[in-house]
Amino acid sequence: MVGVDIIDIVETKKSSNWQRPRFLEKLFTLNEQQLIHDSKNPFIMVWQLWSMKEAAYKLYTQIQPCRFYNPKQFQCEINNANFKVTYKDFKCFVNTKISSQYILSEAHLEHREITSKCIKLLCSNYANQSQMIKEALLVSISNQFKVLKSKLKIVKSEFGIPSIYYNSKKLNVGISISHHGNYGAYAVSLS
Amino acid sequence: MQNEELISKLKEIIAPYIQDEDAFKNLSENTDFVKDLKINSANLVDIILDIEDEFDIRLENEDMEKMLDVKAVMEIVNTKLAN
Repeated sequence: MVGVDIIDIVETKKSSNWQRPRFLEKLFTLNEQQLIHDSKNPFIMVWQLWSMKEAAYKLYTQIQPCRFYNPKQFQCEINNANFKVTYKDFKCFVNTKISSQYILSEAHLEHREITSKCIKLLCSNYANQSQMIKEALLVSISNQFKVLKSKLKIVKSEFGIPSIYYNSKKLNVGISISHHGNYGAYAVSLS
Repeated sequence: MQNEELISKLKEIIAPYIQDEDAFKNLSENTDFVKDLKINSANLVDIILDIEDEFDIRLENEDMEKMLDVKAVMEIVNTKLAN
């Protein structure tokens, strides 16, 4: 199982304002607000923490299928290079990659190296972009498992959690997909 | 507040964040912010803050947790306004 979240930095600057009143208090714990306050680049810290929470939520909801909006309760801990997110008694480890264009977070139940693939989306229509990411994920699985791409299908549950099917049979392969602005990301996990 | 009035105020608040025009045109109580309107989850908090400003109410974490569709938002806003 794996949870992935990507943030397009240009898009975020356009569509979100982390400095608006009450924004930080709604989403971040006091500890996290302190990390943001102390950071040399508060903008990046805000969205890094946000992407960690999102990746952790995507992993958590694969274990406990449900939907809710409670980012503040997904609490991030950053100690050196060791990033953790906890929610009630759930705990996961998160890797984050920050480039000049995007922030990518990947959550696992154990320590893992980052394996997500990031794609720059060249078309601008949201539905087409979404399709491109799914297509890239199917190509990747088809190559990795040497199976026909035409027989693979991504199906989302009622909670919006994606699974991969081969010939209408659900595969025991964890996937996670993320899309934001002009960037997409996906990850495949065998355990 | 009448439901039609509330829905039309909510539509105005939600409009800047939607990524699916067709779903927005057909907005009803059953419309889901993420599944139908494809609103980015980071913008859900903007909608929540806009609702607080528009209706002069405060939404707690327990309220936010359920705010995934139009119906849930209407229920929460109406409850807050009645108190």
